[in-house]
Amino acid sequence: MLKPLSKDGWNYETAAHLLNRAGFGGPPEEIAKLTDLGHDAALASLLDYEKIPDSTPNPVWAVPDLGRAERLRAIQAMPPEDRRNAQQAEQRAQNQRIIELRAWWLNRMARGPRPFQEKMVLFWHGHFATSVEKVRDAYYIWRQNELFRRLGTDYWLRLLIEAGKDPAMLIWLDQAQSRKEHPNENYAREVMELFALGEGHYTEKDVTEGARALTGWSLDRDAQQFIYRPGLHDNGIKTFLGLTGNLGGDDAMAQIVKQPQAAVFITGRLWNFFAGLPPSAELNQVLADAFIENARCFKPFLRVMFASEEFYTPSVIRNQVKSPVQWLVGTTRMLQCDLPPGFICAAMLRSLGQDLFAPPNVKGWDGGITWITTNTLLERYNDAATLVQGMTQQLTASDFARKPGGPGGVVQEKAAERIHIGGLDVDKILTPEERADKGQLVASLQHRLLQSTFSNQQDQALRDFLDSRPKLNDTDIRNVVRLVMSTPEYQVT
Amino acid sequence: MQNEITLQTRREFLRSTVLGSALSWTVPTFLADTFMALHGEAADSATQIVTGKDATILVVLQMAGGNDGLNTVIPYANDYYHNARPRLGQTVDKVLRLNGGIGLHGAMTGFKNLYDSGNLAVVQGVGYPNPNRSHFRSTEIWQTASDSDVINKYGWLGRYFDNACAGADPTIGVVVGRQLPESFFAKTPKGICFDNPQNYRFMSPEHPRPGQTDMTEAAYEKLNENAMAVSDDNSGASIGSLSAGMPMQGGKAVDFIERTALDAQISSDQVRSIAARVQNQATYPNSGFATSLKLVAKLIGGGLPTRVYYVSQGGYDTHTNQIATQQRLLADLGDSLKAFVDDMRAQGNLQRVLVMTFSEFGRRVNENANGGTDHGAAAPMFIVGNKVKAGLLGKYPSLAPQDLYEGDIKYNVDFRSVYAGILETWLNTKSAPILGKQFEPLLVV
Repeated sequence: MLKPLSKDGWNYETAAHLLNRAGFGGPPEEIAKLTDLGHDAALASLLDYEKIPDSTPNPVWAVPDLGRAERLRAIQAMPPEDRRNAQQAEQRAQNQRIIELRAWWLNRMARGPRPFQEKMVLFWHGHFATSVEKVRDAYYIWRQNELFRRLGTDYWLRLLIEAGKDPAMLIWLDQAQSRKEHPNENYAREVMELFALGEGHYTEKDVTEGARALTGWSLDRDAQQFIYRPGLHDNGIKTFLGLTGNLGGDDAMAQIVKQPQAAVFITGRLWNFFAGLPPSAELNQVLADAFIENARCFKPFLRVMFASEEFYTPSVIRNQVKSPVQWLVGTTRMLQCDLPPGFICAAMLRSLGQDLFAPPNVKGWDGGITWITTNTLLERYNDAATLVQGMTQQLTASDFARKPGGPGGVVQEKAAERIHIGGLDVDKILTPEERADKGQLVASLQHRLLQSTFSNQQDQALRDFLDSRPKLNDTDIRNVVRLVMSTPEYQVT
Repeated sequence: MQNEITLQTRREFLRSTVLGSALSWTVPTFLADTFMALHGEAADSATQIVTGKDATILVVLQMAGGNDGLNTVIPYANDYYHNARPRLGQTVDKVLRLNGGIGLHGAMTGFKNLYDSGNLAVVQGVGYPNPNRSHFRSTEIWQTASDSDVINKYGWLGRYFDNACAGADPTIGVVVGRQLPESFFAKTPKGICFDNPQNYRFMSPEHPRPGQTDMTEAAYEKLNENAMAVSDDNSGASIGSLSAGMPMQGGKAVDFIERTALDAQISSDQVRSIAARVQNQATYPNSGFATSLKLVAKLIGGGLPTRVYYVSQGGYDTHTNQIATQQRLLADLGDSLKAFVDDMRAQGNLQRVLVMTFSEFGRRVNENANGGTDHGAAAPMFIVGNKVKAGLLGKYPSLAPQDLYEGDIKYNVDFRSVYAGILETWLNTKSAPILGKQFEPLLVV
């Protein structure tokens, strides 16, 4: 049994922790408001997001492109030179949409009214890690993202079935090519190994039998949607995870979710994502029990998890390395400033190691301390300067070009452009009193950006810097903010 | 306090040796032990203590896009070859002959020079079972040394670092490029990467005059030298429960970042200092790829304690107009490598360096209708160095139609045998723990 956090355990610090983890953090006023609500109401304000209107419009192109399959077929029939040009034009259009989609999603995280919903979408994107590098269709990628938004806190079985039938996944793990004569085992294997059970909890026989059960799940490329093709389905008797019969894909998924290990696996993943470290075996079992008690539905389970004392222990609080997305989105929320233009965000996230819609492989991002290398750390420190101090720069076409040799990542191809990042509005985050008093200034920034304090040595480093400036102008203060962000402490939440 | 002093000592030590005089390249044992303790790693008998001037070095060179091996190491006298390549086929007068039936592409004079001087091994017909024709997936297979139906989280070089280089400096692996390749992914991440050494640094907005202090930079350094000063705060019971979750020996996430921050400061200083101080001693072509190799040569000459360098050259996905593209790329590759070898020789470091090339796949035997070739399977690898078993290794794969697999060349040598050979004979470590099982090592040196 998870123990609920006691009444006096709920305070500014724990409220900040909840907002950081169940959302993307926020400025002190937002944390104070959450503290005042009390734990239950604070949880409701984040988790019951259906009650909060969200009027974010979809990208204009986010509808089935009914002509695309036909267009691609026509391109195949063209003479070589034309075909090459047409393929490139087609791909450029898709790439452009992916850039827009990244900005669209990041804005939902940073500015949208439902941060918890978006945090769950981010979890599922890392869990069902699907890359546009293979899917190559922005509409499919958007559709999958929207599926995670729609069913992200729903029943596990429902989500698992829908995720498997979604076009992006059908392409990503080759289910679209599977037929009874040659069942493709890719999805059958990964759904057990990576999505629902974990290695060692199924046999090779389960993989082949599962692949047979899944035959018939297919993709209608003209309609750009899932289609069940009875002609491709193997109607024979299969034995899958102990169940025997003429099983279909839905039956197989139900049998997976029913396994006791399924509850252990998915709750372990959720705990790792939200608490920042894998649970002990004992805690994992407690979490699995809670999940089953709540009918294997994510919303009520997560409410219990976020209400538990375990979630607020000292080894959990401020001990998670911020993912690049958390770092970027969280920074703009804490500093109450805008996200940079979409392609700048995309470039930053790519160089920080989290290229949205292009995870390194089907296992997704490792996360944790693997986010941090010497170069990504320096990159964070220097990106902090860009975000805080702003920039205006003339970029040339070659700045947008794909860099050869590097792995993955769709890059914008475009002509020269002048970019502008406004930078931090100092008066928005500091009172005149705080600006006037160096001690108050440093304390205020630590409170806002770390929700914690520096060591004496670090404090002194900031004071020395401030003392070297005779009169603090906006640039100096932005520089201090950047220095606070250029610390190991700022990289954790 | 004690900890702060040793930390300071480490920083000062690295600055004074690598950046200053070149008197002492070998790390004294007592200091090496201190560094390993600082990294929080248990002393491991397999650990390779790396120093500036004596260890062997591997340079991995990725030919990204899938190089057409058949038109690189060319069976110019083979009828099947000419039947399959009516337009792209290279005749005897065009190739640089290695023996009575096989020659190098005409643009590869650099390679031919290396071959003639006994510095080049050509491993013929390298691939793996059940080849995958996706760039994405096949690259991943090469980078992680996995079977084609298995997804590995960590790369083969990362597993080498994990297994054999615990406690080593982050510069144990250096990537010239924007991102770590998948082959570097490791349980305990190691390796640094940068494409321009001048950008591999904390950028300060200040421009201090000589003698003045850059206060922003000074503050950054002090803010990031805090490591270990606070380590007593979290040595309590909480570490026990944490250690299960962190791929390091206990400690909080912020401790790991503090160590990395210090590593970043030090390696940034090292890299920029060496790049500014060391001169290349050979004439390289004027290309992006050559620039990368020039940088590697400088870092080797400057004594960076690196065991693996990683460089890549892109553009080999020649579906159309292959003749001109491959001509340009192979010339650049060969001429750059030749200059690199000359540079190493002039430095006196050639006997320490081994270069290995790879590409995610070769291309189909039959040319396509667009003057190009499509994604295929097996292809040759090149190994360059002073101590290589020079010449043609393995057997040229048969091109007879009945010997092909779905129109592709079948491999004779599993690429993991090449990795195993390099790990065991060049990097002097057991290959099985790194590659997951024992492959028969191909003895390349």
